[in-house]
Amino acid sequence: MFDIDVLLPDLREILGAVPLTLAMALAVFVLSTIIGSLFAMVEYRRVPVLRQLVVAYKVAFKGVPMVVVIFLAYYGLPSTLQFLTSLVGVDYNGHSTPNWVTLIVALTACVAAFQAEVVKGALNSFDTGQADAAYSLGYKKSQLFRRVMLPQVIVAAIPDLANSFMVIMKALSLGFAIEVVDIFAQSQLTAALNFYYLEAFLVAVVIYMAIAYAVTQIADRTERALRVRT
Amino acid sequence: MDLSIMIPELLSALPLTLAITFTAMVAGFVLALIATTFRVRRIPVISHLADLYVSYARSVPVVLQLFVAFYGLPVFVDIFGAEDFVSPTVAAILGLSLYHGGYLSEVLRPAYLAVERGQHDAADSLGYSFRQKLLCVLAPQAVHIALPGYGNAIIYLIHNVALVMYIGAADVMATAHLVMERDYNQYQFETYLVLAVLYSVLCLAAWLIVRYFELRSAKFAPRAAPARATLMASV
Repeated sequence: MFDIDVLLPDLREILGAVPLTLAMALAVFVLSTIIGSLFAMVEYRRVPVLRQLVVAYKVAFKGVPMVVVIFLAYYGLPSTLQFLTSLVGVDYNGHSTPNWVTLIVALTACVAAFQAEVVKGALNSFDTGQADAAYSLGYKKSQLFRRVMLPQVIVAAIPDLANSFMVIMKALSLGFAIEVVDIFAQSQLTAALNFYYLEAFLVAVVIYMAIAYAVTQIADRTERALRVRT
Repeated sequence: MDLSIMIPELLSALPLTLAITFTAMVAGFVLALIATTFRVRRIPVISHLADLYVSYARSVPVVLQLFVAFYGLPVFVDIFGAEDFVSPTVAAILGLSLYHGGYLSEVLRPAYLAVERGQHDAADSLGYSFRQKLLCVLAPQAVHIALPGYGNAIIYLIHNVALVMYIGAADVMATAHLVMERDYNQYQFETYLVLAVLYSVLCLAAWLIVRYFELRSAKFAPRAAPARATLMASV
């Protein structure tokens, strides 16, 4: 029932989907980190109305499973895009939006809610005494942010950011429902051709675990290299 | 679209969804306790196996874990020569239990370690056995630290139960697909919105229950308890 000979060809075929998956994960990671940082800044600075909106956004996107959000985007995004582009007078057929764009938008919307939490935690870990010290030395707000806060906040956020990168990698596997081929979808396609399902899925498991190991190693090394020695 | 027909139909699949959730919750908790015990006690080979299991549960997508359970269980059953009893529901419960156990172990272990070092030492110096130390000293304090993380784990479990439809279990999502197809896929967006509300309500209920226990357990908390839940999604 379990065939070892099929593992190597399967591995070769499934590895072909790794670069695309990593690229998509990177795109979602960058976009969601930018949006999440904006959300976190809104909460950190306590901007009146926006703050409540951010909280509502986070509640909405944390309570709903990602599959549901992906399906909502799949059926809702094309017409929304078409409507938005028609407002500015551009003629665009929303239904020609490629599926991977839909997936990236849906995942970015979901993960941004969690990234906001990560960045907020990192911002809160910042020692306010250092801000006072910087102000007493005549730093401007932008200087304080760039020279004192940012280097420390980034280091504090690295473990959580690595974690969220893995979350994105895993979340991309839900894309097979809307025909985006990542590692998991590729293993399914490979299995469908030769009917060795368990073998193909185990190969995918090994690939995912290897990527997770690599990501943690990279994160640990970067953190150790960047941490200010005290 | 007739909501008064659709919602009862969706709710008719809710018992199975909740049954899968609760079974996975209980089985996952037991698994997590076992895995955590092995991991904190550092027994040579078994600890490494437990580590491997936890990293499998945490770094592999839940869909993939479900498929591995679905296709792996018959092979496993075959080795022991038992009859093939595996239904999608059983595979879903197994897959989700394994996932939940691994995730929860990574909540329980930090909670165990976060109890102040002095408490461990005090219990050891008074000659407590590992079991006594755990039950009388560490557990009450660790529960308070672990509860926020536990609440997250439960919410992610509820989210991930939505994935069991891919291996053919007839949960709420699968029923929603049936309903949509019966209406010639006209109301997909609306149906998913209803599902979103349904899952939000489930998560809210779970969160309120955990929150109740969190407030109750506060009396065991040391003065400055580092109760911080890892607020990260889990797919």
